[in-house]
Amino acid sequence: MPSEAAPAITSAPPAFAARGVAWTRRLTTGAMLLPAYGILTISVFLPLLVMAFFSVLKRSPFDPGPLSFTIDHYLVFVRRPYLIDVAWTSIQLGLWITGVCVAIGLPAALALAKATEGRSQKILFFLIILPFWSNGLVRIFSWTMVLRDGGILDYAYHLVLPSAAPLGLLYSFPAMVIGLVHAYLPYMILTCYLSISAIDNQLIEAAESLGARWPMTFLKIILPLAMPGIISGSVLIFVPVIGSFMEPRILGGKTGVTMGTVIEDQFTQAFNWPLGSAMSFAMLGFILLLFGVFGRALKQPATAAS
Amino acid sequence: MRRLGIGWLMVVVAFLYLPIGVMMLMAFNASPFYTLPIELTGHWFTDLAQNEKLLDASRNSLLIATATAIISTVCGTAAALVLGRQTFRGKRLLQILLLPPMAIPWLIIGTAMLVFFHWTGIGRGLHAMILGHVALSLPYVMLVIGTGIQTLQPDLEEAAMSLGSTPQHAFFAVTLPALMPSIIAAGLFAFAVSLDQFVVSYFLAKPGVTTLPVEIYSSIRKGFTPEINAISTLLLGASMVLVIAFAWLSNFGGAHERR
Amino acid sequence: MSGSISRRKFNLLALSSLAAPALIKARAFAAETITVLNWQGYGTDEEWALKAFAEKTGITVKHEYFNAESEMVTKVKTNPGAYDVVLVNSARVRQLGADYLSPIDPAKIPNNSSIPASLSMHPNFVINGKPYGNVWLWGMTGLAAREGKAKQGDSFALLADPAFTNRVAMNDDPIIAVGIGALMSGQDINAPKDLKLVGEKLKSMKKNIRLLWQSEDEWNKAFAADQFDLAIYWSGSATRSRRNFKLPVDFIVAKEGAIAWVDTLTIPTSSTKAEAAYKFINYMIDPDFYYEWATKVGAPASANPAAMAKLPADDLNKLIHKQEYLQQMQIMGTLSDETRQSFVDLWEETKAFYAK
Repeated sequence: MPSEAAPAITSAPPAFAARGVAWTRRLTTGAMLLPAYGILTISVFLPLLVMAFFSVLKRSPFDPGPLSFTIDHYLVFVRRPYLIDVAWTSIQLGLWITGVCVAIGLPAALALAKATEGRSQKILFFLIILPFWSNGLVRIFSWTMVLRDGGILDYAYHLVLPSAAPLGLLYSFPAMVIGLVHAYLPYMILTCYLSISAIDNQLIEAAESLGARWPMTFLKIILPLAMPGIISGSVLIFVPVIGSFMEPRILGGKTGVTMGTVIEDQFTQAFNWPLGSAMSFAMLGFILLLFGVFGRALKQPATAAS
Repeated sequence: MRRLGIGWLMVVVAFLYLPIGVMMLMAFNASPFYTLPIELTGHWFTDLAQNEKLLDASRNSLLIATATAIISTVCGTAAALVLGRQTFRGKRLLQILLLPPMAIPWLIIGTAMLVFFHWTGIGRGLHAMILGHVALSLPYVMLVIGTGIQTLQPDLEEAAMSLGSTPQHAFFAVTLPALMPSIIAAGLFAFAVSLDQFVVSYFLAKPGVTTLPVEIYSSIRKGFTPEINAISTLLLGASMVLVIAFAWLSNFGGAHERR
Repeated sequence: MSGSISRRKFNLLALSSLAAPALIKARAFAAETITVLNWQGYGTDEEWALKAFAEKTGITVKHEYFNAESEMVTKVKTNPGAYDVVLVNSARVRQLGADYLSPIDPAKIPNNSSIPASLSMHPNFVINGKPYGNVWLWGMTGLAAREGKAKQGDSFALLADPAFTNRVAMNDDPIIAVGIGALMSGQDINAPKDLKLVGEKLKSMKKNIRLLWQSEDEWNKAFAADQFDLAIYWSGSATRSRRNFKLPVDFIVAKEGAIAWVDTLTIPTSSTKAEAAYKFINYMIDPDFYYEWATKVGAPASANPAAMAKLPADDLNKLIHKQEYLQQMQIMGTLSDETRQSFVDLWEETKAFYAK
């Protein structure tokens, strides 16, 4: 069997067979992509197209009367300048959460991949994913109990410093950051772990034997090879955080105003689907723009490393 | 250095489990308003045993989450393999298309699904919910597996083939096992996304059918009692046992076993 | 074979003609089912009440729920024939209008006789002289204070008073927020002429507002955890929080008044079971049902004075919900889409201001 396969691969196939191979190749590629993208098309892309259609309507599509079109809704940032502040809050949240997750998660992933092994490594791997399985709302609510005045942290703080003012952690920007970091940290730890665990230990040993100390090894070897993990982790975190609304609403108190909450209000309070959809697409457009700009810059080292 | 790393890891795990611990503790606290001081009681669990609605909802959630995880991982792995290893026209577009499901708030997608499914006759029900859940978890699955693929040694398969293996055999004996950690992680993520998905479930469920997150979300209106904590504690506790047993007994090969 | 009836068919016919009288008798007490669309836990789904109703009339009641009024509107508009009784706030009846709702025939609801015409024919839900909703419950949205922190007749200005810095919980509802601002500036809550002034009143509360709440449960939990002392809250919920959960809260009717709201029960035009729907609505305004519901479970105020009269003299619900308020206070009314959108825009801008 083996020796028969070899010549078939190395000898040049006739042109007719080559087209056949190309065709099969395309079919297989298509077949592999179809289930995922088929489901996405039916459940997400087509429905979103419907929403995009709504976003250029003047009024809700369920109202009687003829449909009239307008792009006015897309000028929402011009018409309602306070939204610029809100958008900036969302972006800040995105940047903070992603940054903190990298700072906390990367070392943790490194430790998980290189400092542990065998059973304990596997168990820790799963333990890190497990909090994901608890319900988001219950988790956020538990955070209110930890962060609120009179709550667990405040109580412990006052055991040490009885006459100090209350911590005032809940209902603030830091509370939102804490809650969101907690919710998204496992993504970063795991994607970084996946990248780092593929780094051959021999590379590190070689560097050390050549006299490199830890910071150098980290910067020159580990960091570049962990980049794919850091980048996909960042995408998995930054994108949903921008549209988040549960943590801001519950943990942010009066500071919890984000693009997510504003869009939700347009749907549930104003019943203005056209405006809500337009705002969502404007947000999506902004994210795509960001990726267009940064993606170009980040693609280079990633492809060079792989 | 090593000890520092492990110490940091422990700190991080402690942080991750802080609110989980609080959640579990409150399942045993008598106060229906979650106020301290703590009075231990087991009555929320006994109440839960009689709460058919919540138990039913949890069963549905677990079923849907399992189905979602399996379907999503299979479809996502296939697609991720193509995107990660081949180049063709339109590949960039396909990658970018993974962003909208993650970026657009669930409420918008949920509403859009509801309207579209209504118009096209797909309707509401279990099939619609699974469709929605799979779609929402696919980007996560594909991104995670994509990371795994990026870290694969590209020549391993070729090396296997030059030693006489067929492409298929090379794939199953070399590539797939190397991807196992990513695939498992992706599956677990998909399970988590589905378990926590309340907006889509809420819109697409047939009246009378409900899932756990929907129940929790609606009970914010009526009164969110520690019964919710009780069921969350049970679910999490069971998962912990299952997962630790799996890790203990199984031997999923892969990158970290190569030394 | 053709032309003659088979033995089997004949037997079947004979048997069924014997059964016919029994069937006809059963029809008089037919097991009918109606579907009610309402908030969860809002009176129409009380198990004991539905059982009693089924025994009396043979009608089984099924429920579907909504979590927001906009959701209710969507459901009614997109599910013709699915619902037989729908709870619609009097301010939303016109939003659905004669296109989706049937006019109510007062003759079919005997219990209506004790409701004053000024209420049962309130302009809010009367279109072309006919009522499109049957008044059911009412309540007020106004001040609620931790015991001892405020008294009856205090002003809404307390919401901006430095004594309550960072100790106020505001309702995250644009209509209510604008309404409060309107009351504070002496305007019509349904058509405030000077929205800018309303905005200023609301913004003046910035330093005091600690959190925004959307549900009774959120309110209760934060209040129990001592996160605030003063709030905007619903009167019925304040009663329930005090009576059922023993929370130290008082509902305060401010000197500027409060925002009154009225909930009505309606019958969609697409319903095929109007007769049964009428029976159910009648049962809901029955003083006996209300008495059980209010005393055993806790309920907002009934729009039926006869039902309120049945409550004991010291009942908290009765003491707070004085019938004359319905005459004096402004009742939430229909808002045009433009007006509603302007309220939402104002509130969104105010919230962004609070967050800065």
